[in-house]
Amino acid sequence: MTTLVATGLPAAATRRGLLRRTLASRSGAVGAVLVGVIVLAALAAALGLLPHDPLAQAPADRLSGPSGAHWFGTDQFGRDVFARSAAGAAASLLIAVVAVAIATVAGTTAGVAAAFFGGWSDRSVLGVTNVLFAFPPLLLALALASAFTRTWLTVAIAIAVVYTPIFVRVARGPVLSLREADFVRATTVLGFSPLRTLARHVLPNIAPIVIVQITLSLSWAVLTEASLSFLGLGTPPPAPSLGAMVLEARVLATVAWWTMAAPGAVIVALVVGLNLLGDGLRDALDPRNGGTR
Amino acid sequence: MIARHPLLRRLLEALLTLLGVAVLVFVMLRAIPGDQVTATLGTEAAALTPAQRAALEAYYGLDQPLPVQFLSWLGAVVTGNLGASQRTGQSVLEMTAAALPVTLELAVLSLVIGLVLGVAAAMLSASRPNSARDAAGQAVGLAGLSVPAFLLGSALLALSARFAGYNPNAERFASLTTDPGLHLQQLLMPAVVLGFGLAAPIMRTARSALLEVRSQDYVRTARGKGVGPRRLALRHVLPGALVPIVTMTGLQFGYLLGGAVVVEQIFSVPGIGRQVLLGIQQKEYAVVQSTVLVIALTFVLVNLATDLLYRVIDPRVRAS
Amino acid sequence: MARRISRRLGAAVAASAVLLTACSGGGGSAGGDAAGGGGLVIGATSAPDTLLPWKATQFQAVNVLEQLYGTLTELDADLEVVPGLAESWEVSEDGTTITMALRQGVTFSDGSAFDADDVTASLDRIRDEATGAVAAASLASVTAVEAPDPATVVLTLSGPDAGLLAALASVNLAMLPSDATEQALADTPNGTGPFTFAQRIPNQSITLEANPEYWGGAPALPTLEFRVIPDETSIVSALQSGNVGFAVFDDPLVAQSAEASGTTVTETPQLSYHVLQLNARQAPLDDLDVRLAIQCAIDRQQVLDTAALGEGEVTGPITSPAYRSDPAARPCPQRDVEAARRHLAAAGHAGGLTLSTIVSQGEYATSVNEATNIQAQLAEAGITLNIEVLESGAYVDRWVAADFQTAVALNGGRPDPDGMYGRYFTSTGNLNDVAGYTSPELDALFAQGKATSDPAARKEIYQQVSRHLEDNAAWVWLFTSFTYTATAPEVTGFTPMANGSLKYLRETSVGGS
Repeated sequence: MTTLVATGLPAAATRRGLLRRTLASRSGAVGAVLVGVIVLAALAAALGLLPHDPLAQAPADRLSGPSGAHWFGTDQFGRDVFARSAAGAAASLLIAVVAVAIATVAGTTAGVAAAFFGGWSDRSVLGVTNVLFAFPPLLLALALASAFTRTWLTVAIAIAVVYTPIFVRVARGPVLSLREADFVRATTVLGFSPLRTLARHVLPNIAPIVIVQITLSLSWAVLTEASLSFLGLGTPPPAPSLGAMVLEARVLATVAWWTMAAPGAVIVALVVGLNLLGDGLRDALDPRNGGTR
Repeated sequence: MIARHPLLRRLLEALLTLLGVAVLVFVMLRAIPGDQVTATLGTEAAALTPAQRAALEAYYGLDQPLPVQFLSWLGAVVTGNLGASQRTGQSVLEMTAAALPVTLELAVLSLVIGLVLGVAAAMLSASRPNSARDAAGQAVGLAGLSVPAFLLGSALLALSARFAGYNPNAERFASLTTDPGLHLQQLLMPAVVLGFGLAAPIMRTARSALLEVRSQDYVRTARGKGVGPRRLALRHVLPGALVPIVTMTGLQFGYLLGGAVVVEQIFSVPGIGRQVLLGIQQKEYAVVQSTVLVIALTFVLVNLATDLLYRVIDPRVRAS
Repeated sequence: MARRISRRLGAAVAASAVLLTACSGGGGSAGGDAAGGGGLVIGATSAPDTLLPWKATQFQAVNVLEQLYGTLTELDADLEVVPGLAESWEVSEDGTTITMALRQGVTFSDGSAFDADDVTASLDRIRDEATGAVAAASLASVTAVEAPDPATVVLTLSGPDAGLLAALASVNLAMLPSDATEQALADTPNGTGPFTFAQRIPNQSITLEANPEYWGGAPALPTLEFRVIPDETSIVSALQSGNVGFAVFDDPLVAQSAEASGTTVTETPQLSYHVLQLNARQAPLDDLDVRLAIQCAIDRQQVLDTAALGEGEVTGPITSPAYRSDPAARPCPQRDVEAARRHLAAAGHAGGLTLSTIVSQGEYATSVNEATNIQAQLAEAGITLNIEVLESGAYVDRWVAADFQTAVALNGGRPDPDGMYGRYFTSTGNLNDVAGYTSPELDALFAQGKATSDPAARKEIYQQVSRHLEDNAAWVWLFTSFTYTATAPEVTGFTPMANGSLKYLRETSVGGS
């Protein structure tokens, strides 16, 4: 679906246009707003700018519903649910971003290298990817998360390992065809080093698909982290995490619905926003819509 | 060196993949702290004398060097002996033979629900793109994608049990042969939860595929010839969109095998995901290793089947 | 086009839903009685990990096995020692011989008779290291077991052991048939208990039947099923829909949510205790002033209130009702941050001190919240506590190896103080490494306690033990909590026990019978 171009164009022009085009589409705009709001709240939590401390307990106020003082109410320990949700969103976003960043870098590098250099490097990368793909993803993340002393970083690495194969596949496909394209063959004849060819000609061409995959993977990573926390294997407490909040709130569902509704809504909003953003990006990058060309 | 015949090559690849999975799961399990002794005794393990500990380790086969443990397990697997659970004495083959069909049933049911919901919603959306109908369809699709299975499952079970008094999953799990009615009911809520999540990616894939096909020349021709809208949709548009739908379905089936574990946990369904989770918690190495191999094998087989299906439904693929 | 399809679809879905719910009428109830015909269904989060009484430490396994197997002595609802398979006993003057008269006419579930040979065989095999019995240390003082006749057993001890009779009530010292092998018993339990083994579906359920020949009278419950529902919240749902009639929770929130829907919830104080273990063999905790600083910096009631919502009682070391420690009998009965700082300064840490703690996650509900609150309280006294949250396998590994500076723990209690702490705080105790503290005075006190049989004198001795432990801040004892027994309204006759035993299921009945 993506047509290949010989990018002699300076990348900056396409980038600015990209942002505008993404926001022009309805999904892109809605997605950007959703994600933006949550990221702002998460940043506020991370920087300690929120009116309430997510960890501060106030037993006198326990299980009070949404009010002016506590926008999302309080939980069983009197902690402000809004602050905890924002902090939980920050934790989930951190883990998701780090996990996807690792997966993107590792996966794209491996995929591009495998396709570009071919031979046994291609076969070995494919072999490892097949092994990881054959492994049930949640169970893989589960086992990896159990294996090491649990910190947010090890959870992120566990999720990264699960999503790296996707980036390998996403990057490898187009590069295989690119390798045969005339302009790439030309650079080899001209004596360009492989690295230069990769950087200037190959990467910009696969960039669109990788970007779309990044937003998709971010949303999956948020869901995987929440599921891991639900199974008790995510970010270790007492740091708030959206999945763990839902887990604790199940017991309170009939008594204090806001304790489950708030983190649940944040998870849903975040995932929806990321997906819509991905849709907007995909539309913006589709050449038929006036994308890269 | 590498077989030329495509089928043989695929089989060789599959075998190597399975070997890789075996090594990976073996190593990962050993990396997890605790072993079967501490898993069964907990803090009471501190009260063991060195002699008692050595006896227990020999009993669980933990005293052998790692490569020996790996090779003896692998050797046994190849001859059909998947090992046994130390706790219950049941052979892993027996346990898997009981649990795998349950998860497969759950996966199939979820896929059916997901396909029905997803394709129907996609056809609704694609029939008039960018309309209110389309937006509604897409919103439903998005919702399914973003509501985590554990959230939906917990809510469904809590509401059903509390307000409707309906909780078939709290009964002992019935097998298909002994009590089909109860069995299907026990799979219904988990399948609905999983299916709802599946409907979303299926819907999105189907929608874009349908839109693309609709704009193709041969469809325009058929419409120009006066083919009615329903026949057009079913006979001309849908088949063209099948390839991406089948790909997505095959992919989701694989994820379901492992991803159903959360739903199996909430609804007490004794499927293959729960078997692995329990095995990890109880440090039953043989159980986890052999079960993961079986899941990987199933996944590989499903991939092969999907490939064959391509050749059937898309003549263009046959040529390659 | 699409409209017609979706309408047909809707009809099909509705039809199949009706069909399926109609099918339910036949087989097992989808949401009805808690059991068929007066039996009881108990919801548990996991299956017993073993069916061998001598190896069972997991409480789900103990709960099942105590219905199937019998012990020489038993504990009543007040944790007093009462006759079990031994109808009566006589302890010699010097305390080194116990002669037990066995109950007559008792049979195992396979019909074979129970006699003194079974007792000697069981006790001998438990004492044999090769068996790997977890309670072998309880019989450490037993040198010989003899059966002069089929109805009498004589235990010869190396010295008086006042705690032995209470220890014999544990299912880990159950009486097994003399000719049984581990293999056979692991498949088909064969005991003298109020229930017999009927059926087992691994990791799903285990069903027991009433034993009509039981020496205490046949139980009122015809069947007893322990059903595995892996998720606690799902157990609450099962109670609400009536599929399960009995469950035990330790999380007060879960118990509250169960109560909200008409289930009866009884709270029972437990013998198990929440504690901050200190490893006094490692610097800087080998300095008494440092340990006292920690003791004085912690308000135990605050830990209880914030972590466990106040559901429990502040406690000293000994938790069994007969020997209960006075929680105020310690250098700092109330929190005293000034005193804590003084002790720290005296130890040379006036500028502050950093310590680490391990805490498990997922084992019990309050672990991490306790650690967080303790961390906050210690910070105000100048002590920085670094918390390492470990998954249960990793925690157990570290705990067993005593590889920690401090540890937030929930340890099981026993009715007899010697059974409870002998193995931790005597220099020869098999858990002394984990306890991290010994002293000659404690050794002497424990020896004395073992040798004294007069209850009043023993109480005095163990009060001294308790005082010594608190004065030396060997550990920082926090609180005991409750266990919550949730029963359906039609379940009657059950008495929960402070040691978590479900012994009184033998007197429970369902429905107005």
